[in-house]
Amino acid sequence: MSVTQTRREQAGQAAGTKCWSCQAAVAGTHFCPACGKIQPLPAGADYFAFFGLPRKLSLDPAQLEAEFHKLSWKLHPDNFVRAGEFERNLSLERSSELNDAYRTLREPIARVEYLLLHLGLRKEGTTRQQAPPELLEEVFELNESLDELREARAEGGDTAALREPLDAAQKNFQEKLTEVDAELAAIALEWDAALDAGADEGKKQALLARMNEVLNRRSYVRNLVASVAKELAEV
Amino acid sequence: MGRVVGIDLGTTFSLIAFLDPQTGAPKCIPGPYGSALCPSVVSVDPDGKIIVGEPARERLLTQPERTIYSVKRLMGRGLADIQDELKIFPFRIDPDGRNVIRVRLGDKSFTPPEISAFILRELKSWAEKYFNEPVDRAVITVPAYFNDAQRQATKDAGRIAGLEVLRLVNEPTAAALAYGLHKQKRGHVAVYDFGGGTFDISILKLISTSEGDIYQVLSTNGDTHLGGDDIDNALLDLARRELSEKFGVQLDQHGEAVQELRKSLIRAKHELSGAEKTTVKYSLGAKGTYTREITRAEFDELIRPIVARTMAPVKMALADAKLAPNQMEEVVLVGGSTRIPLVRKTVGEYFGRAPHCELNPDEVVALGAAVQADILETGVKTMLLLDVTPLSLGIETMGGVVAKIIPRNSTIPASAQELFTTGVENQTGIDVHVLQGERELAKDCRSLAKFQLKVPPGPAGLARIEVKFLIDANGILQVAARDLRTSAEHTIEVQPSYGLSDTEVERMLEESIEFAEQDFAERQAIEARTEADTILAATEKTLANPRAAELSLEERRAIDDSVAQLRAAVAGADYKLMRDRIDQLNQATMHLAEILMNGALQTALEGKRLEEV
Repeated sequence: MSVTQTRREQAGQAAGTKCWSCQAAVAGTHFCPACGKIQPLPAGADYFAFFGLPRKLSLDPAQLEAEFHKLSWKLHPDNFVRAGEFERNLSLERSSELNDAYRTLREPIARVEYLLLHLGLRKEGTTRQQAPPELLEEVFELNESLDELREARAEGGDTAALREPLDAAQKNFQEKLTEVDAELAAIALEWDAALDAGADEGKKQALLARMNEVLNRRSYVRNLVASVAKELAEV
Repeated sequence: MGRVVGIDLGTTFSLIAFLDPQTGAPKCIPGPYGSALCPSVVSVDPDGKIIVGEPARERLLTQPERTIYSVKRLMGRGLADIQDELKIFPFRIDPDGRNVIRVRLGDKSFTPPEISAFILRELKSWAEKYFNEPVDRAVITVPAYFNDAQRQATKDAGRIAGLEVLRLVNEPTAAALAYGLHKQKRGHVAVYDFGGGTFDISILKLISTSEGDIYQVLSTNGDTHLGGDDIDNALLDLARRELSEKFGVQLDQHGEAVQELRKSLIRAKHELSGAEKTTVKYSLGAKGTYTREITRAEFDELIRPIVARTMAPVKMALADAKLAPNQMEEVVLVGGSTRIPLVRKTVGEYFGRAPHCELNPDEVVALGAAVQADILETGVKTMLLLDVTPLSLGIETMGGVVAKIIPRNSTIPASAQELFTTGVENQTGIDVHVLQGERELAKDCRSLAKFQLKVPPGPAGLARIEVKFLIDANGILQVAARDLRTSAEHTIEVQPSYGLSDTEVERMLEESIEFAEQDFAERQAIEARTEADTILAATEKTLANPRAAELSLEERRAIDDSVAQLRAAVAGADYKLMRDRIDQLNQATMHLAEILMNGALQTALEGKRLEEV
């Protein structure tokens, strides 16, 4: 590991308006249209903009991948080994942003999460810990089964019989996860339609809020599935 | 600027290769013993002279306390990590080492990067001799599953050896490049790399775009402590047990005797790749001879658990790539241990296809490194490698839990930004602990570094420090911090958990540069002296010829002066001066050579009639 200076500092503050090398006007493109030099990332740019895409949630994965490969070919540090330190750092900045963006946008769920994060509607790593009201009863039963299983294991008792309710719960929550994913996909389509129709801010905010709520529920259910799977693996 | 090369810095052997501009194909450079394989063994003479490669390997038997092999196993590791290693490897660890291991060789001690640098320097000298030009830049390969500290240690070794490391390339990826699979194939490829000390599996996707061909690594997995060494140790365990049971002989694992036995067992292992059985003979002096026949079947049974250990990473890599074994277009075998029939059989059966092994599994990684070195050097990009980080990067949060910020198998370069703030009033520092690994708890992951972000005292939550974590194309982490309230650069004081500080590397580099220049100059001087001797002897001989009298007085004096000057230069150590004076003498004797030529022609013609000419 090594400590470096903040790349943005080194790239100067002029990012986004004028080419650092020839002073020609640049509009957030990867390279200067006049002299072809690689440009610093403009402040506040998002992953969608990096790929030249609108903030829509339906994406053609094959097209995204092709664009990823095309940009990799141009931005990768291999191209800048013989360039000066400044340009090498710009390549590092742009190519890491490319890889981060592709990694995020290619996964439908991560894509929604990113949009909400970027718009400040969601904080990283914060997921609501309370059970969604409609799941309360099932979660309660599940926790009971888990407790029984742990007790039986601690006392060296028969755990095989206790597997059944857990297997059932696992299946149940797995289905819930599929439902939640479908729900999220449906709102994502509404969001895209709203963007196409030039919907007002109020409508868009409402859709974002709904997506945020579904995402919270999703992460809760996913955690349940993971913890049950872990317990079952230990039986 | 000097030449650029590709280097495979291996556990057992190291190789150096370059892209031959004549053929456009990569080529390994042979050493003084004719082989391109340089044993990764280093020995230190009592007078401090460093011996590397084949002669050092001989010393494993005669001076084991001054000699080390498999140092790669120690790269980027701390004392606590290597306890298991110490049970089976005869490493003598200096107890004074802090977070960096120091290995004792005779009365000196060295860090693993320094020892690796000796190997790199030896290879560099092979190439310099081959090109008759200095070599100053290299692509060096590392196991794909190497973590940040192991990569950093390898890069440090390069620097200490006086090489600018253009890139660290993962060994399986380099192998895929050497195979040039893109020329015929599209689709998915598995590279199974079972070397002397490490095991890697990489799943790649080959893509052709309008710009060129891309090798995209989808996933990688492995074990940095699983290799042919383990097979040798299994054989050694068996032999030592039998020696103890049948002869009552207890072999000291650090002694010379065990190295002798180890050597015979390794030979047996190699023979069993071709033969169905082999016999190991080991003399116990007065107590007789231990003679042991080993059949292929018995060998297979002995190593089956070791080969089986490679399959768990293979399965995980495929799962991460979301692919099934039968979806591979090609399977490539790399590393000396893939010569073992059981390994080939196991891999072939798992993937349901015969694996590729046309290229020499020992050379293929170095050849790939040479291809990549050429691309980086010339800027003529014929293909692009997109590699991944093998391990997730995380930071420690409340309760010792690790929050993953860059997942494993992310294409590199990759980055993540984290915002840090204070939790209590008047807190003046925020501790950040960076880790690598897949486990949930910090104590189970590999600690990379701890650092503190210093903040002015104030209410809780006021400070806002953004830290950017970036894994570069070498797989090495860079960290930068910025104070969001002031937009100012924020300084970080890092205590790397393992590894050398920049100042330490600088110092080692300075020490070694002196060595290096001396070495290079010394070699050049030896060569120039040899050449001078040849030309001096030839001149003397021609001057004795009667026809030399045809020379003018001035010409004769010029030759005599040049001879005297060359003699004086040869007595010194300046190879450049010797070369100049050789040229000078060559110039001075030009006319003499012509006279002799003409004379020889006349003599040849004298016996013949005119019409015959």
